[in-house]
Amino acid sequence: MTLPLALETAALGKTFGRTRALDGVDLAVPAGTVFGVIGPNGAGKTTLMRVLLDVIRPSSGEARVLGSDPRTGGPALRRRIGYLPGELRLEGRITGRALLNYYAGISGEVRPGSADRLAERLGLDLDRRVGTLSKGNKQKLGLVQAFLHEPELLVLDEPTSGLDPIVQQEFLALLREARDRGQTVFLSSHVLSEIQQAATDVAVLRAGRVITVSTVDALRQTAIRHVRAELEGVTAEGARRVLTGIPGLSALELSATPSPRLTASFTITGPIDGCVKALAGFTVAELVVEEPDLEESVLRLYHDGETR
Amino acid sequence: MSAPFPLLRRSLGDSWRSLIGWSAGIAAALFLYLPLFPSLGGAGSQMAKLINTLPPQLIKALGYAQITTGGGYTESTFYGLIGFVLIVIAATAWGSAAIAGDEESGGLELTLAHAVSRTRVAVERGLSVLLRLAWLALLSGLLVGALNGPSALGLGLPGIVAVSAAYLGLGTLSATTALAVGASTGRRVYATGAGAGIAILGYVLNAIGNQQKSLEVLRAWSPYGWAYRHTPLVHGADWAGLALLYGTSAVLAVVTVIALRRRDIAG
Repeated sequence: MTLPLALETAALGKTFGRTRALDGVDLAVPAGTVFGVIGPNGAGKTTLMRVLLDVIRPSSGEARVLGSDPRTGGPALRRRIGYLPGELRLEGRITGRALLNYYAGISGEVRPGSADRLAERLGLDLDRRVGTLSKGNKQKLGLVQAFLHEPELLVLDEPTSGLDPIVQQEFLALLREARDRGQTVFLSSHVLSEIQQAATDVAVLRAGRVITVSTVDALRQTAIRHVRAELEGVTAEGARRVLTGIPGLSALELSATPSPRLTASFTITGPIDGCVKALAGFTVAELVVEEPDLEESVLRLYHDGETR
Repeated sequence: MSAPFPLLRRSLGDSWRSLIGWSAGIAAALFLYLPLFPSLGGAGSQMAKLINTLPPQLIKALGYAQITTGGGYTESTFYGLIGFVLIVIAATAWGSAAIAGDEESGGLELTLAHAVSRTRVAVERGLSVLLRLAWLALLSGLLVGALNGPSALGLGLPGIVAVSAAYLGLGTLSATTALAVGASTGRRVYATGAGAGIAILGYVLNAIGNQQKSLEVLRAWSPYGWAYRHTPLVHGADWAGLALLYGTSAVLAVVTVIALRRRDIAG
Protein backbone atom coordinates (compact mmCIF):
# COMPACT_ATOMS: atom_id res chain seq x y z
CA MET A 1 0.00 0.00 0.00
CA THR A 2 1.34 3.41 -0.88
CA LEU A 3 0.62 6.29 1.43
CA PRO A 4 -0.73 9.52 -0.07
CA LEU A 5 2.06 12.04 -0.49
CA ALA A 6 1.83 15.51 0.99
CA LEU A 7 4.61 16.67 -1.24
CA GLU A 8 6.69 15.27 -3.99
CA THR A 9 9.43 16.58 -6.22
CA ALA A 10 10.96 15.04 -9.31
CA ALA A 11 14.30 16.19 -10.69
CA LEU A 12 13.57 19.64 -9.29
CA GLY A 13 16.17 22.17 -10.38
CA LYS A 14 16.66 25.87 -9.72
CA THR A 15 19.39 28.00 -11.16
CA PHE A 16 20.25 31.53 -10.07
CA GLY A 17 22.50 32.96 -12.74
CA ARG A 18 25.34 30.42 -12.85
CA THR A 19 24.61 28.93 -9.44
CA ARG A 20 22.69 25.68 -9.30
CA ALA A 21 20.80 26.02 -6.02
CA LEU A 22 18.78 22.85 -6.62
CA ASP A 23 20.32 20.17 -8.78
CA GLY A 24 17.68 17.53 -9.44
CA VAL A 25 15.93 17.04 -6.11
CA ASP A 26 13.74 13.93 -5.78
CA LEU A 27 11.71 13.79 -2.60
CA ALA A 28 8.53 12.10 -1.45
CA VAL A 29 6.99 13.15 1.84
CA PRO A 30 4.11 10.94 3.00
CA ALA A 31 1.10 12.73 4.46
CA GLY A 32 0.96 12.83 8.24
CA THR A 33 4.70 12.61 8.84
CA VAL A 34 7.20 15.01 10.28
CA PHE A 35 9.84 15.16 7.61
CA GLY A 36 13.13 16.92 8.19
CA VAL A 37 15.53 18.19 5.60
CA ILE A 38 18.99 18.90 6.89
CA GLY A 39 22.10 20.26 5.35
CA PRO A 40 24.66 22.99 5.76
CA ASN A 41 23.92 26.60 4.84
CA GLY A 42 23.69 26.97 1.09
CA ALA A 43 22.61 23.36 0.55
CA GLY A 44 19.34 24.51 -1.04
CA LYS A 45 16.90 23.98 1.85
CA THR A 46 15.45 27.48 1.69
CA THR A 47 15.32 27.46 -2.12
CA LEU A 48 13.41 24.18 -2.05
CA MET A 49 10.84 25.52 0.38
CA ARG A 50 10.38 28.77 -1.54
CA VAL A 51 9.69 26.76 -4.71
CA LEU A 52 7.02 24.78 -2.85
CA LEU A 53 5.30 28.05 -1.87
CA ASP A 54 5.59 29.48 -5.42
CA VAL A 55 7.64 32.39 -4.12
CA ILE A 56 10.22 31.39 -6.72
CA ARG A 57 9.79 29.21 -9.80
CA PRO A 58 11.78 26.08 -10.61
CA SER A 59 14.11 26.06 -13.62
CA SER A 60 13.44 22.38 -14.29
CA GLY A 61 11.66 19.39 -12.89
CA GLU A 62 8.36 19.14 -11.12
CA ALA A 63 6.87 19.66 -7.70
CA ARG A 64 3.50 18.61 -6.34
CA VAL A 65 2.21 19.96 -3.06
CA LEU A 66 -0.97 18.43 -1.60
CA GLY A 67 -1.67 17.09 -5.06
CA SER A 68 -1.27 20.38 -6.93
CA ASP A 69 1.52 22.05 -8.84
CA PRO A 70 2.50 25.08 -6.72
CA ARG A 71 2.89 27.04 -9.95
CA THR A 72 -0.83 26.72 -10.72
CA GLY A 73 -2.27 25.90 -7.29
CA GLY A 74 -2.65 29.59 -6.44
CA PRO A 75 -4.34 30.94 -3.32
CA ALA A 76 -6.51 27.82 -2.94
CA LEU A 77 -3.41 25.68 -2.46
CA ARG A 78 -1.53 28.12 -0.23
CA ARG A 79 -4.58 28.42 2.03
CA ARG A 80 -3.82 24.80 3.03
CA ILE A 81 -0.17 25.52 3.86
CA GLY A 82 1.45 27.29 6.79
CA TYR A 83 4.88 28.74 6.04
CA LEU A 84 7.68 30.06 8.19
CA PRO A 85 10.42 31.72 6.10
CA GLY A 86 14.02 31.02 6.96
CA GLU A 87 14.93 34.65 7.21
CA LEU A 88 11.92 36.03 8.98
CA ARG A 89 12.00 39.80 9.08
CA LEU A 90 9.10 41.50 10.77
CA GLU A 91 9.09 45.25 11.15
CA GLY A 92 6.86 48.17 11.88
CA ARG A 93 4.65 49.81 14.45
CA ILE A 94 1.91 47.22 14.00
CA THR A 95 1.24 44.99 17.03
CA GLY A 96 1.65 41.25 16.90
CA ARG A 97 -2.09 40.82 17.21
CA ALA A 98 -2.85 43.18 14.32
CA LEU A 99 -0.23 41.45 12.17
CA LEU A 100 -1.79 38.06 12.90
CA ASN A 101 -5.21 39.48 12.01
CA TYR A 102 -3.77 40.57 8.70
CA TYR A 103 -2.33 37.14 7.97
CA ALA A 104 -5.57 35.49 9.12
CA GLY A 105 -7.40 37.67 6.59
CA ILE A 106 -5.31 36.24 3.77
CA SER A 107 -5.19 32.59 4.81
CA GLY A 108 -7.57 29.82 5.73
CA GLU A 109 -10.30 29.92 8.35
CA VAL A 110 -8.91 30.64 11.82
CA ARG A 111 -10.62 29.34 14.92
CA PRO A 112 -11.43 32.12 17.39
CA GLY A 113 -8.83 32.35 20.15
CA SER A 114 -6.19 30.36 18.23
CA ALA A 115 -3.73 33.23 18.15
CA ASP A 116 -3.95 33.80 21.90
CA ARG A 117 -3.66 30.11 22.69
CA LEU A 118 -0.56 29.67 20.55
CA ALA A 119 1.02 32.90 21.79
CA GLU A 120 0.46 31.91 25.40
CA ARG A 121 2.05 28.50 24.89
CA LEU A 122 5.12 30.05 23.33
CA GLY A 123 5.23 32.91 25.83
CA LEU A 124 4.67 35.73 23.36
CA ASP A 125 3.05 39.10 24.13
CA LEU A 126 0.78 39.94 21.19
CA ASP A 127 0.21 43.54 22.25
CA ARG A 128 3.80 44.62 21.69
CA ARG A 129 4.82 46.33 18.51
CA VAL A 130 6.44 43.97 16.06
CA GLY A 131 9.42 46.25 15.49
CA THR A 132 10.33 46.18 19.19
CA LEU A 133 10.34 42.37 19.50
CA SER A 134 13.56 40.42 20.00
CA LYS A 135 14.67 37.92 17.36
CA GLY A 136 13.31 35.05 19.42
CA ASN A 137 9.93 36.72 19.88
CA LYS A 138 9.68 37.51 16.18
CA GLN A 139 10.37 33.84 15.51
CA LYS A 140 7.54 32.92 17.88
CA LEU A 141 5.23 35.29 16.00
CA GLY A 142 6.31 33.65 12.73
CA LEU A 143 5.48 30.23 14.18
CA VAL A 144 2.07 31.42 15.41
CA GLN A 145 1.14 32.72 11.94
CA ALA A 146 2.22 29.41 10.37
CA PHE A 147 0.17 27.26 12.80
CA LEU A 148 -2.73 29.72 13.07
CA HIS A 149 -5.13 28.25 10.51
CA GLU A 150 -4.24 24.60 11.27
CA PRO A 151 -3.02 23.97 7.73
CA GLU A 152 -2.72 20.49 6.25
CA LEU A 153 0.94 21.13 5.52
CA LEU A 154 3.44 23.10 7.55
CA VAL A 155 6.60 24.22 5.75
CA LEU A 156 9.00 25.50 8.39
CA ASP A 157 12.43 26.80 7.45
CA GLU A 158 14.80 26.65 10.44
CA PRO A 159 11.90 26.89 12.89
CA THR A 160 13.86 26.77 16.14
CA SER A 161 16.45 29.37 15.26
CA GLY A 162 16.52 31.99 17.98
CA LEU A 163 14.29 30.03 20.37
CA ASP A 164 15.50 29.24 23.87
CA PRO A 165 15.51 25.57 24.98
CA ILE A 166 12.23 25.76 26.91
CA VAL A 167 10.37 27.27 23.95
CA GLN A 168 12.02 24.68 21.69
CA GLN A 169 10.44 21.96 23.84
CA GLU A 170 7.04 23.64 23.51
CA PHE A 171 7.57 23.87 19.77
CA LEU A 172 8.34 20.15 19.61
CA ALA A 173 5.09 19.53 21.49
CA LEU A 174 3.25 21.61 18.88
CA LEU A 175 4.81 19.47 16.16
CA ARG A 176 3.69 16.26 17.86
CA GLU A 177 0.16 17.58 18.23
CA ALA A 178 0.12 18.65 14.60
CA ARG A 179 1.24 15.17 13.55
CA ASP A 180 -1.39 13.57 15.77
CA ARG A 181 -4.06 15.68 14.09
CA GLY A 182 -2.88 14.40 10.72
CA GLN A 183 -1.02 17.52 9.63
CA THR A 184 2.19 17.03 7.66
CA VAL A 185 5.29 18.91 8.73
CA PHE A 186 8.19 19.60 6.40
CA LEU A 187 10.95 21.34 8.30
CA SER A 188 14.56 22.19 7.71
CA SER A 189 17.50 22.65 9.96
CA HIS A 190 21.22 22.62 10.15
CA VAL A 191 20.87 21.73 13.82
CA LEU A 192 20.38 17.99 13.77
CA SER A 193 19.38 17.61 17.38
CA GLU A 194 16.19 19.44 16.47
CA ILE A 195 15.38 16.95 13.71
CA GLN A 196 16.14 13.88 15.75
CA GLN A 197 13.54 14.74 18.37
CA ALA A 198 10.79 15.89 16.06
CA ALA A 199 11.13 14.13 12.75
CA THR A 200 10.36 10.58 11.73
CA ASP A 201 12.19 10.87 8.40
CA VAL A 202 15.19 12.86 7.33
CA ALA A 203 16.56 13.89 3.96
CA VAL A 204 20.13 15.11 3.81
CA LEU A 205 20.63 17.87 1.26
CA ARG A 206 24.00 19.01 0.07
CA ALA A 207 24.90 21.32 -2.80
CA GLY A 208 21.37 21.15 -4.18
CA ARG A 209 21.14 17.36 -4.19
CA VAL A 210 19.52 14.84 -1.87
CA ILE A 211 22.37 12.70 -0.57
CA THR A 212 20.27 10.32 1.45
CA VAL A 213 16.79 9.81 2.80
CA SER A 214 16.52 7.86 6.00
CA THR A 215 14.34 7.36 9.01
CA VAL A 216 15.57 8.80 12.26
CA ASP A 217 15.54 5.26 13.68
CA ALA A 218 17.83 4.09 10.90
CA LEU A 219 20.13 7.02 11.56
CA ARG A 220 20.10 5.99 15.19
CA GLN A 221 21.22 2.50 14.16
CA THR A 222 24.33 3.96 12.62
CA ALA A 223 24.68 6.51 15.40
CA ILE A 224 27.88 7.06 17.25
CA ARG A 225 27.71 6.72 21.03
CA HIS A 226 30.39 7.93 23.38
CA VAL A 227 30.95 5.53 26.26
CA ARG A 228 32.98 5.97 29.43
CA ALA A 229 33.33 3.13 31.94
CA GLU A 230 35.27 2.95 35.20
CA LEU A 231 36.29 -0.63 35.90
CA GLU A 232 37.65 -2.26 39.04
CA GLY A 233 40.05 -5.19 39.53
CA VAL A 234 41.32 -5.39 35.97
CA THR A 235 44.60 -4.56 34.26
CA ALA A 236 44.87 -2.36 31.20
CA GLU A 237 45.96 -5.30 29.07
CA GLY A 238 43.10 -7.45 30.32
CA ALA A 239 40.56 -4.72 29.62
CA ARG A 240 42.00 -3.96 26.19
CA ARG A 241 41.82 -7.60 25.17
CA VAL A 242 38.10 -7.81 25.94
CA LEU A 243 37.07 -4.36 24.79
CA THR A 244 38.73 -4.53 21.36
CA GLY A 245 36.47 -7.50 20.65
CA ILE A 246 33.33 -5.30 20.86
CA PRO A 247 31.74 -4.76 17.42
CA GLY A 248 31.82 -1.15 16.26
CA LEU A 249 34.31 0.01 18.87
CA SER A 250 36.84 2.71 18.07
CA ALA A 251 38.91 5.45 19.68
CA LEU A 252 39.63 3.35 22.76
CA GLU A 253 41.55 5.10 25.51
CA LEU A 254 42.52 3.55 28.81
CA SER A 255 43.86 5.39 31.83
CA ALA A 256 44.61 4.26 35.38
CA THR A 257 42.58 7.00 37.01
CA PRO A 258 40.96 7.51 39.38
CA SER A 259 43.21 4.98 41.12
CA PRO A 260 42.74 2.09 41.72
CA ARG A 261 40.11 2.11 38.96
CA LEU A 262 40.73 1.90 35.25
CA THR A 263 38.82 4.34 33.01
CA ALA A 264 37.96 3.22 29.50
CA SER A 265 36.64 5.75 26.98
CA PHE A 266 35.61 4.75 23.48
CA THR A 267 32.94 5.19 20.84
CA ILE A 268 30.51 2.61 19.56
CA THR A 269 29.07 2.79 16.08
CA GLY A 270 25.81 0.94 15.66
CA PRO A 271 24.05 -1.27 18.24
CA ILE A 272 25.11 -0.89 21.86
CA ASP A 273 24.26 -4.44 22.85
CA GLY A 274 27.70 -6.00 22.30
CA CYS A 275 29.26 -3.32 24.44
CA VAL A 276 26.89 -3.98 27.35
CA LYS A 277 27.52 -7.71 27.18
CA ALA A 278 31.28 -7.27 27.16
CA LEU A 279 31.30 -4.82 30.05
CA ALA A 280 29.19 -7.20 32.13
CA GLY A 281 32.28 -9.38 32.60
CA PHE A 282 33.95 -6.63 34.62
CA THR A 283 33.15 -4.94 37.88
CA VAL A 284 31.72 -1.69 36.58
CA ALA A 285 31.99 1.19 39.08
CA GLU A 286 30.68 3.86 36.77
CA LEU A 287 29.14 3.87 33.29
CA VAL A 288 28.18 6.79 31.06
CA VAL A 289 26.63 6.20 27.63
CA GLU A 290 25.87 9.48 25.91
CA GLU A 291 22.74 10.07 23.86
CA PRO A 292 23.60 9.05 20.29
CA ASP A 293 24.80 12.04 18.38
CA LEU A 294 23.08 12.01 15.00
CA GLU A 295 25.09 15.04 14.08
CA GLU A 296 28.20 12.92 13.88
CA SER A 297 26.55 10.21 11.82
CA VAL A 298 25.10 12.70 9.40
CA LEU A 299 28.37 14.56 9.11
CA ARG A 300 29.78 11.25 8.02
CA LEU A 301 27.08 11.07 5.36
CA TYR A 302 28.11 14.52 4.20
CA HIS A 303 31.63 13.28 3.99
CA ASP A 304 30.65 10.17 2.04
CA GLY A 305 28.60 12.38 -0.26
CA GLU A 306 31.62 14.50 -0.96
CA THR A 307 34.00 11.69 -1.66
CA ARG A 308 31.55 9.68 -3.70
CA MET B 1 -11.89 37.64 9.98
CA SER B 2 -12.88 37.76 6.34
CA ALA B 3 -13.31 41.53 6.04
CA PRO B 4 -12.85 42.69 2.44
CA PHE B 5 -9.59 44.07 1.04
CA PRO B 6 -7.22 42.94 3.82
CA LEU B 7 -4.16 44.08 1.86
CA LEU B 8 -5.62 47.49 1.09
CA ARG B 9 -6.65 48.05 4.69
CA ARG B 10 -3.26 46.98 6.03
CA SER B 11 -1.52 49.26 3.55
CA LEU B 12 -3.67 52.26 4.52
CA GLY B 13 -3.31 51.39 8.20
CA ASP B 14 0.46 51.36 7.90
CA SER B 15 0.62 54.70 6.13
CA TRP B 16 -1.83 57.06 7.80
CA ARG B 17 0.94 58.81 9.72
CA SER B 18 2.80 59.56 6.54
CA LEU B 19 -0.45 60.69 4.91
CA ILE B 20 -1.03 63.20 7.69
CA GLY B 21 2.50 64.52 7.20
CA TRP B 22 2.03 65.05 3.47
CA SER B 23 -1.39 66.64 4.04
CA ALA B 24 0.16 69.08 6.50
CA GLY B 25 2.92 69.91 4.00
CA ILE B 26 0.42 70.66 1.24
CA ALA B 27 -1.77 72.73 3.55
CA ALA B 28 1.26 74.69 4.76
CA ALA B 29 2.36 75.43 1.19
CA LEU B 30 -1.11 76.65 0.18
CA PHE B 31 -1.57 78.78 3.29
CA LEU B 32 1.87 80.26 2.74
CA TYR B 33 1.55 81.10 -0.95
CA LEU B 34 -2.07 81.86 -1.82
CA PRO B 35 -2.78 84.61 0.78
CA LEU B 36 0.18 86.54 -0.61
CA PHE B 37 -1.49 86.96 -4.00
CA PRO B 38 -3.50 90.15 -3.25
CA SER B 39 -0.35 91.99 -2.19
CA LEU B 40 1.72 90.60 -5.05
CA GLY B 41 -0.67 90.10 -7.95
CA GLY B 42 -2.00 92.50 -10.54
CA ALA B 43 -0.33 93.96 -13.60
CA GLY B 44 1.18 96.98 -11.80
CA SER B 45 2.14 95.12 -8.61
CA GLN B 46 5.62 94.74 -7.14
CA MET B 47 5.59 91.08 -8.14
CA ALA B 48 4.89 91.99 -11.75
CA LYS B 49 7.72 94.52 -11.67
CA LEU B 50 10.11 92.00 -10.10
CA ILE B 51 9.21 89.43 -12.69
CA ASN B 52 9.79 91.94 -15.48
CA THR B 53 13.38 92.31 -14.29
CA LEU B 54 14.02 88.54 -14.52
CA PRO B 55 15.50 87.04 -17.69
CA PRO B 56 12.62 85.98 -19.97
CA GLN B 57 14.06 82.46 -20.29
CA LEU B 58 13.87 82.01 -16.51
CA ILE B 59 10.29 83.28 -16.41
CA LYS B 60 9.34 80.82 -19.11
CA ALA B 61 11.21 77.97 -17.48
CA LEU B 62 9.42 78.55 -14.20
CA GLY B 63 6.09 79.04 -15.97
CA TYR B 64 5.70 82.46 -14.37
CA ALA B 65 4.43 84.16 -17.55
CA GLN B 66 0.88 84.31 -16.22
CA ILE B 67 1.75 84.88 -12.61
CA THR B 68 -0.11 88.14 -12.37
CA THR B 69 -3.50 86.42 -12.70
CA GLY B 70 -5.01 84.42 -9.83
CA GLY B 71 -5.13 81.24 -11.92
CA GLY B 72 -1.62 81.71 -13.27
CA TYR B 73 -0.30 82.49 -9.79
CA THR B 74 -1.92 79.40 -8.20
CA GLU B 75 -0.68 77.13 -10.97
CA SER B 76 2.86 78.45 -11.07
CA THR B 77 3.42 78.63 -7.33
CA PHE B 78 1.53 75.57 -6.09
CA TYR B 79 0.36 73.07 -8.73
CA GLY B 80 3.33 73.59 -11.01
CA LEU B 81 6.04 73.94 -8.37
CA ILE B 82 5.85 73.20 -4.65
CA GLY B 83 2.69 71.11 -4.87
CA PHE B 84 4.14 69.22 -7.84
CA VAL B 85 7.30 68.45 -5.87
CA LEU B 86 5.29 67.29 -2.85
CA ILE B 87 2.95 64.95 -4.73
CA VAL B 88 5.78 63.50 -6.82
CA ILE B 89 7.85 62.72 -3.73
CA ALA B 90 4.84 61.22 -1.94
CA ALA B 91 3.81 59.18 -4.99
CA THR B 92 7.34 57.93 -5.58
CA ALA B 93 7.89 57.02 -1.93
CA TRP B 94 4.57 55.18 -1.66
CA GLY B 95 4.90 53.52 -5.06
CA SER B 96 8.42 52.31 -4.25
CA ALA B 97 7.48 51.05 -0.80
CA ALA B 98 4.36 49.16 -1.92
CA ILE B 99 6.17 46.30 -3.68
CA ALA B 100 9.93 46.80 -3.95
CA GLY B 101 10.31 48.23 -0.45
CA ASP B 102 8.24 45.45 1.07
CA GLU B 103 10.23 42.88 -0.88
CA GLU B 104 13.55 44.29 0.35
CA SER B 105 12.38 44.38 3.94
CA GLY B 106 11.29 40.72 3.68
CA GLY B 107 7.56 41.20 4.12
CA LEU B 108 6.43 40.44 0.58
CA GLU B 109 7.61 36.83 0.62
CA LEU B 110 5.46 35.97 3.63
CA THR B 111 2.42 37.80 2.28
CA LEU B 112 2.69 35.98 -1.06
CA ALA B 113 3.07 32.65 0.75
CA HIS B 114 -0.49 33.13 1.98
CA ALA B 115 -3.75 32.64 0.10
CA VAL B 116 -3.47 35.70 -2.12
CA SER B 117 -2.63 35.98 -5.80
CA ARG B 118 0.13 38.30 -6.91
CA THR B 119 -2.40 40.18 -9.02
CA ARG B 120 -4.44 40.91 -5.94
CA VAL B 121 -1.39 42.10 -4.01
CA ALA B 122 -0.42 44.47 -6.83
CA VAL B 123 -3.97 45.74 -7.36
CA GLU B 124 -4.83 46.34 -3.70
CA ARG B 125 -1.52 48.03 -2.94
CA GLY B 126 -1.69 50.15 -6.10
CA LEU B 127 -5.23 51.13 -5.14
CA SER B 128 -4.01 52.12 -1.69
CA VAL B 129 -1.42 54.46 -3.20
CA LEU B 130 -4.01 55.89 -5.59
CA LEU B 131 -6.46 56.55 -2.74
CA ARG B 132 -3.82 58.42 -0.75
CA LEU B 133 -2.84 60.51 -3.77
CA ALA B 134 -6.52 61.24 -4.49
CA TRP B 135 -6.86 62.49 -0.94
CA LEU B 136 -3.90 64.85 -1.42
CA ALA B 137 -5.41 66.19 -4.68
CA LEU B 138 -8.83 66.56 -3.07
CA LEU B 139 -7.39 68.33 -0.04
CA SER B 140 -5.46 70.71 -2.31
CA GLY B 141 -8.59 71.46 -4.35
CA LEU B 142 -10.66 72.07 -1.21
CA LEU B 143 -8.06 74.41 0.28
CA VAL B 144 -7.64 76.31 -3.01
CA GLY B 145 -11.44 76.66 -3.14
CA ALA B 146 -11.50 77.89 0.45
CA LEU B 147 -8.73 80.42 -0.15
CA ASN B 148 -10.18 81.52 -3.51
CA GLY B 149 -12.34 84.28 -2.04
CA PRO B 150 -10.10 85.58 0.78
CA SER B 151 -7.08 85.66 -1.51
CA ALA B 152 -9.02 87.22 -4.40
CA LEU B 153 -7.84 84.56 -6.84
CA GLY B 154 -10.97 84.72 -9.01
CA LEU B 155 -11.01 80.96 -9.72
CA GLY B 156 -13.98 78.96 -10.98
CA LEU B 157 -15.01 75.48 -9.80
CA PRO B 158 -14.50 73.81 -13.23
CA GLY B 159 -10.93 75.13 -13.27
CA ILE B 160 -10.21 73.81 -9.78
CA VAL B 161 -11.65 70.40 -10.68
CA ALA B 162 -9.66 70.33 -13.92
CA VAL B 163 -6.34 71.25 -12.29
CA SER B 164 -6.96 68.75 -9.48
CA ALA B 165 -7.44 66.00 -12.06
CA ALA B 166 -4.21 67.01 -13.81
CA TYR B 167 -2.37 67.23 -10.46
CA LEU B 168 -3.58 63.77 -9.43
CA GLY B 169 -2.61 62.49 -12.88
CA LEU B 170 0.99 63.61 -12.39
CA GLY B 171 1.13 61.94 -8.98
CA THR B 172 -0.45 58.77 -10.37
CA LEU B 173 2.08 58.61 -13.18
CA SER B 174 5.06 58.82 -10.80
CA ALA B 175 3.43 56.24 -8.51
CA THR B 176 2.68 53.74 -11.28
CA THR B 177 6.18 54.22 -12.70
CA ALA B 178 7.66 53.42 -9.28
CA LEU B 179 5.28 50.46 -8.92
CA ALA B 180 6.09 49.06 -12.36
CA VAL B 181 9.84 49.37 -11.95
CA GLY B 182 9.64 48.07 -8.39
CA ALA B 183 7.55 45.08 -9.47
CA SER B 184 9.96 44.37 -12.35
CA THR B 185 13.22 44.66 -10.43
CA GLY B 186 12.36 44.24 -6.76
CA ARG B 187 14.76 47.08 -6.02
CA ARG B 188 13.49 50.08 -4.15
CA VAL B 189 16.24 52.37 -5.36
CA TYR B 190 15.36 51.72 -9.02
CA ALA B 191 11.69 52.27 -8.32
CA THR B 192 12.39 55.58 -6.58
CA GLY B 193 14.75 56.67 -9.33
CA ALA B 194 12.18 55.92 -12.01
CA GLY B 195 9.25 57.58 -10.21
CA ALA B 196 11.19 60.75 -9.50
CA GLY B 197 13.02 60.54 -12.83
CA ILE B 198 9.91 60.63 -14.98
CA ALA B 199 8.71 63.72 -13.08
CA ILE B 200 12.04 65.51 -13.43
CA LEU B 201 12.33 64.58 -17.10
CA GLY B 202 8.82 65.86 -17.72
CA TYR B 203 9.56 69.11 -15.92
CA VAL B 204 12.79 69.68 -17.84
CA LEU B 205 11.24 68.89 -21.24
CA ASN B 206 8.41 71.28 -20.44
CA ALA B 207 10.81 74.03 -19.33
CA ILE B 208 12.88 73.71 -22.51
CA GLY B 209 9.72 73.54 -24.63
CA ASN B 210 8.60 76.80 -23.05
CA GLN B 211 11.66 78.66 -24.32
CA GLN B 212 10.69 79.10 -27.95
CA LYS B 213 8.11 78.14 -30.54
CA SER B 214 10.41 75.69 -32.35
CA LEU B 215 10.87 73.69 -29.13
CA GLU B 216 7.20 73.78 -28.23
CA VAL B 217 6.83 70.22 -29.53
CA LEU B 218 8.84 68.97 -26.54
CA ARG B 219 5.96 69.85 -24.24
CA ALA B 220 3.86 67.30 -26.08
CA TRP B 221 6.30 64.63 -24.84
CA SER B 222 6.29 65.85 -21.25
CA PRO B 223 3.87 64.48 -18.64
CA TYR B 224 4.20 67.86 -16.94
CA GLY B 225 3.14 69.44 -20.23
CA TRP B 226 0.21 67.01 -20.54
CA ALA B 227 -0.96 68.20 -17.15
CA TYR B 228 -0.44 71.93 -17.29
CA ARG B 229 0.43 73.30 -20.73
CA HIS B 230 -3.12 74.51 -21.36
CA THR B 231 -3.44 76.06 -17.88
CA PRO B 232 -6.42 73.96 -16.75
CA LEU B 233 -7.10 76.16 -13.73
CA VAL B 234 -7.99 78.96 -16.13
CA HIS B 235 -9.12 77.17 -19.28
CA GLY B 236 -10.68 73.99 -17.88
CA ALA B 237 -9.90 70.38 -18.56
CA ASP B 238 -7.40 69.41 -21.26
CA TRP B 239 -8.97 66.06 -22.11
CA ALA B 240 -6.16 64.92 -24.39
CA GLY B 241 -3.56 65.69 -21.72
CA LEU B 242 -5.57 63.87 -19.03
CA ALA B 243 -6.04 60.88 -21.34
CA LEU B 244 -2.27 60.70 -21.86
CA LEU B 245 -1.54 60.95 -18.11
CA TYR B 246 -4.10 58.38 -17.01
CA GLY B 247 -3.65 56.16 -20.07
CA THR B 248 0.11 55.88 -19.49
CA SER B 249 -0.55 55.20 -15.81
CA ALA B 250 -3.00 52.43 -16.71
CA VAL B 251 -0.43 50.81 -18.99
CA LEU B 252 2.15 50.98 -16.19
CA ALA B 253 -0.36 49.44 -13.77
CA VAL B 254 -0.78 46.49 -16.15
CA VAL B 255 3.01 46.21 -16.44
CA THR B 256 3.17 46.10 -12.62
CA VAL B 257 0.78 43.16 -12.42
CA ILE B 258 2.42 41.20 -15.24
CA ALA B 259 5.94 41.80 -13.93
CA LEU B 260 5.07 40.75 -10.39
CA ARG B 261 3.32 37.59 -11.59
CA ARG B 262 6.31 36.43 -13.61
CA ARG B 263 9.18 37.02 -11.26
CA ASP B 264 11.02 35.20 -8.46
CA ILE B 265 10.56 37.08 -5.21
CA ALA B 266 13.66 37.82 -3.17
CA GLY B 267 13.62 36.66 0.42
